[in-house]
Amino acid sequence: MTIPNDPGPLPPAHDPPARVDLDRVWVGVAAEVWRRHPGRIERTAARLLRSPGLARALVTTPSLLLPWLISTAVAFGVGALVSIGPGEPLVWLIAPGVAAVGLAFAYGPGTDPAWELSLSCAVPDRIVLLARGLAVFAVNAALGLIASTVSGAAVALTFGWLVPMTAVCALALAVTVTVRSAAVGAGAGVAAWTITVLASQAVSGQDTAAATNVHAYLPYLAVAACCAAIVGYATRPRREF
Amino acid sequence: MNVEMRDTYRSFGRNRAVAGVDLQLGTGVFGLLGPNGAGKTSLLRMLATVLPPTSGEIRLLGQDPRGAAARREIRRRFGYLPQSLGYYPSFTVVEFIEYFALLKEMPSSAVPAAVAAAVERVDLGAKARAKLRTLSGGMLRRVGIAQAIVNNPDLLLLDEPTAGLDPEQRVHFRGLLRSLGVDSTVVVSTHLVEDVGTACSEVALMSAGKIVFRGTPDELTARGEGYGVGDAPLERGYSAVLAEARS
Repeated sequence: MTIPNDPGPLPPAHDPPARVDLDRVWVGVAAEVWRRHPGRIERTAARLLRSPGLARALVTTPSLLLPWLISTAVAFGVGALVSIGPGEPLVWLIAPGVAAVGLAFAYGPGTDPAWELSLSCAVPDRIVLLARGLAVFAVNAALGLIASTVSGAAVALTFGWLVPMTAVCALALAVTVTVRSAAVGAGAGVAAWTITVLASQAVSGQDTAAATNVHAYLPYLAVAACCAAIVGYATRPRREF
Repeated sequence: MNVEMRDTYRSFGRNRAVAGVDLQLGTGVFGLLGPNGAGKTSLLRMLATVLPPTSGEIRLLGQDPRGAAARREIRRRFGYLPQSLGYYPSFTVVEFIEYFALLKEMPSSAVPAAVAAAVERVDLGAKARAKLRTLSGGMLRRVGIAQAIVNNPDLLLLDEPTAGLDPEQRVHFRGLLRSLGVDSTVVVSTHLVEDVGTACSEVALMSAGKIVFRGTPDELTARGEGYGVGDAPLERGYSAVLAEARS
């Protein structure tokens, strides 16, 4: 029997594609739908740090609510004590240490929920810690600067403590990315602050000169800027041979 | 060999968690069985480069993890699911897996597709954009498995991966394990002998920090013939070997 008007086989263009892997197609679609598009800050950080992972750790710091709150509370709590307490505010000299302890407790077993996982990742956990520290202090410094427009006490707090601490964090990060050792970077930051405190004391005779000398504010900002530049240089993309 | 351990010890104070383990593993799914406190998790944490051995030698993926550069390279190529998975409650499933994919230094252009594939492999597509705080324990376990496999690891270390999974998901997961074991070394620490029986090509039983049995699941089953303790043949083998080791 023949079929009248049999059109014959379809031309090749109408053949269904052989062996379409629908799972693969779906994964491609899902990847596009689900993907999180990095914002401008994260893209810039990824370029500067040459590590998308570190950039993500940097920008997601506010998402890690508890560490963020701890560090901010410690920063502004100690700042308030500085403003209220009588006599020489010696607490300014230990404040960077207090804040560093707050940050250390914000990243470790028992406090960072995913610490064990982070520890097993290729991006060193201490560098993630430094990135988070820098994010916390930079944002706190920005908050302090905003508050400075309202209150004179906030000006003292911001420039007497937060800006130096931002510089110390930036220095530690610069050393870390240069020598590829977070421990050396952290040590360099603490050592630099100690030397600054002792040197200021020797020159001026005042114990808290490192934090109260208004002439030091600009150098702190300059150090922070230079260190940021060093981080950018040390992590610049290198040409392939 | 992707895993080589020689005379490896790990102590915590006076407590010796791992006592002279020798282990060489190629591709395949390797089950690590043993009672609580046998040293399974300590062994797995050493393989995950999270816990250094007190003494002995470990080589992973052909490299010595004591060197920082080698350790970093190893960490790019393995996946790890810890016994207790910590997570950031405000992250979504995709954000969490993506975060760890980036920390594993995967090329950022490859991350979205790898994350989507991992999410689909653990059957969490419907929850891809859900916050982790809204997920059940079994779903969180699957998120943990997804972050472990997102980089298509050559070495996959899973500590109690099926804890909290419902029976259907456990069956699904065993199939996933078998497929992963074709090209990779998969080490699974578990209490559940049925996981070992169906998914593992080889099994080791630990007791008091030592490996007291190593062989196929069938060989472990054979050790239990005539032994009365245990409901299933493999359980009887497990119990028989443990009783022998303790005596």
